[in-house]
Amino acid sequence: MIRIKLKIKFIPYEKTCNDNFKDLLKDLQKDTIILIDAKLKPEQEAELIKKTMEKVSEKFSGIELSSIDISPEKDSTLFEKLRGFVFQLTTGKRRGMTVIGPAHIITKIEKNPEELMLYV
Amino acid sequence: MLSSISGIHRHIRNTFNALLSKIFKKKPDMKLGLYGPVNAGKTTLANRICLDWLGEELGKASVIPHETREIQIKEKVTMNHNGKSLNFNLVDTPGIATKIDFEDFLKYGMKKKESKQRAKEATKGVIESIKWLDKMDLVLVVIDSTQDPINQVNITLLGNLDARKTPVIIVGNKIDLKKSNLKRVREAFPQYEVIGISAKNDKNMKELYAQLFKKL
Repeated sequence: MIRIKLKIKFIPYEKTCNDNFKDLLKDLQKDTIILIDAKLKPEQEAELIKKTMEKVSEKFSGIELSSIDISPEKDSTLFEKLRGFVFQLTTGKRRGMTVIGPAHIITKIEKNPEELMLYV
Repeated sequence: MLSSISGIHRHIRNTFNALLSKIFKKKPDMKLGLYGPVNAGKTTLANRICLDWLGEELGKASVIPHETREIQIKEKVTMNHNGKSLNFNLVDTPGIATKIDFEDFLKYGMKKKESKQRAKEATKGVIESIKWLDKMDLVLVVIDSTQDPINQVNITLLGNLDARKTPVIIVGNKIDLKKSNLKRVREAFPQYEVIGISAKNDKNMKELYAQLFKKL
């Protein structure tokens, strides 16, 4: 039987708001999987990819990244849409979740609209 | 108070002017960017466009990932369609990736030193590609239609172009291959125009050119 030790760290979205992914990348380089309680903005994802590329080395090949967006769908009720809008307006967060893992640990992330499947 | 109103007025005017210049394509150095994941066929498409309209290729395409590691530009490409012409600079970008492992290159028979160098250059290429997103006037997002289109690179790329209000056409490449599934690409991104082509075998290029004229 093969035992794999996994470290998972939960990070509030607010910690990513200044687009400084320095601490986050330090954790990723130390074999930690990161969970963020919101969906990153596309610009933040691009910035994270850029910062990741700066850190790629023989020991750290990069990241696997994926997120779920649970913003109201087009056919949602007016109340659901309003609730989503108010949530984003008051918290600045995009409702959802982001998973980031070191590429040498997470080989693949499979995504369907409602769930993420991590393969280690 | 007056200066704040004047600032808002200036902001509205600039936004409106930028929108007008995008719609009426007044920009003299319009940039058409080719973006997408690694090995989707961006350089093969760039070569096809350059061959069709300039009679010469732009760069070397290869099955080894990250063959294009620097931004390549072909200036002053002129396309003609139904009596109209379109002038632009064609920008071929390195494939975007979230991970680059030098050991992947060893599988293609490369030496360790060469692989490490290629990986190092590839990371810089990804950074450059992302930096250049701001400069594009229209982007062809090139997707390998034999692969699952819902991957993070495509999602991040399209999200960033959408945030920048850059017009996009999705190009489902490699439709000549048996595994090609253009329907899957269309279903993954229903809000975008998707054109299926084979850049390598010169299939459906006329439809892509017609779409470019429509978009601009």
